[in-house]
Amino acid sequence: MKLNERSVAHYALSDSPADHMGFLRTWGSPGTPPTPSGTGRRYWFVLKGNLLFSFESRKGRVPLSLVVLEGCTVELAEAPVPEEFAFAICFDAPGVHPHLLAAEGPAAQEAWVKALSRASFGYMRLVVRELESQLQDARQSLALQHHSSWKPTASCCKPQARNNRSVVLENGHPLSKDCSPVGLVEEAGSRCAGLGLAERELQGPASLLLGRGQSPVSPETSNFSTLHDWYGQEIMKLQQHWQQRAQGRQPECEEQDKP
Amino acid sequence: MRYNEKELQALSRQPAEMAAELGMRGPKKGSVLKRRLVKLVVNFLFYFRTDEAEPVGALLLERCRVTREEPGTFSISFVEDPERKYHFECSSEEQCQEWMEALRRASYEFMRRSLIFYRNEIQKVTGKDPLEQFGISEEARFQLSGLQA
Repeated sequence: MKLNERSVAHYALSDSPADHMGFLRTWGSPGTPPTPSGTGRRYWFVLKGNLLFSFESRKGRVPLSLVVLEGCTVELAEAPVPEEFAFAICFDAPGVHPHLLAAEGPAAQEAWVKALSRASFGYMRLVVRELESQLQDARQSLALQHHSSWKPTASCCKPQARNNRSVVLENGHPLSKDCSPVGLVEEAGSRCAGLGLAERELQGPASLLLGRGQSPVSPETSNFSTLHDWYGQEIMKLQQHWQQRAQGRQPECEEQDKP
Repeated sequence: MRYNEKELQALSRQPAEMAAELGMRGPKKGSVLKRRLVKLVVNFLFYFRTDEAEPVGALLLERCRVTREEPGTFSISFVEDPERKYHFECSSEEQCQEWMEALRRASYEFMRRSLIFYRNEIQKVTGKDPLEQFGISEEARFQLSGLQA
């Protein structure tokens, strides 16, 4: 299968922010010969969005490997060497082996597991969708507040502006274009505080970027807080496990399901 | 760059945001228009021969540009080499618009920008950081400083 590898490599090195990075050890990804000592090989890993890249070193300019973090889970794992803080990226697909990785300490391990398990596009989409609806709610309640405390004597705005604004509230469609021009002109002219706020706020870059009332989020994504709780539970479990491991340092780490 | 094809193939079987048979022409000189099943899954665009289960190829849609070409057609190019264009031919102008719209929103970096925008706007209106309630306000990917000008 073809992939636009040059663009992928370009994205790996682009100045858009990395979501996590650090050294990890790795074993047995296809193509790498096993190391005689069993300690794995140490590479520089960079997480960018839903893509995990590895490089020869921190200054490496050529990504050596790519893992797309979709449809996978991140689990604690046993490393060939006991003192490593290992975890695995597992895919639920036939013939796909887990990627076994190990961090240099428990904190780094926790941070990597957290970052990787939340790296999917779907997670990002749910956060965006949740914030989008929170912003709509916040703007609506703000608009209502201003509306109820509005007094003609306290304001320099013309009643027109107010009428215009009730249209905004009634049609409940704050990203619609119909609500902006009068309000904006009024405000620019009179510099009145408060009343024009909601209108002005509507003109943010994303509302232009997204077009009218469009969301970057597809309708079938499920509720964010449910998903967040779900991830949260997983992380709580991991934390418990780490604490037990730190306390007991037991050779086997199968204790996590006991109370 | 090593990657596991099977992982990408598994991704190509995930539910698609958009899928349709379109005419597709690669960036190489002399490429001809071929009928392909084109499938948008998260930030990857997969293309299949119409009689095959596994995709012929995939395009990662980060740092790409979606451009309207002749009526009913659009192209995808990537910032590092904007002259290399993948052309797509739709069956109607409407379908073309729909695809262009979906492709422009199909990048992680677009999501990141939207998220940071909403976070800031909510903070302006309510005075509170909406990400705190989920315990993810410190994450690097949600920081404003990470945003390119």
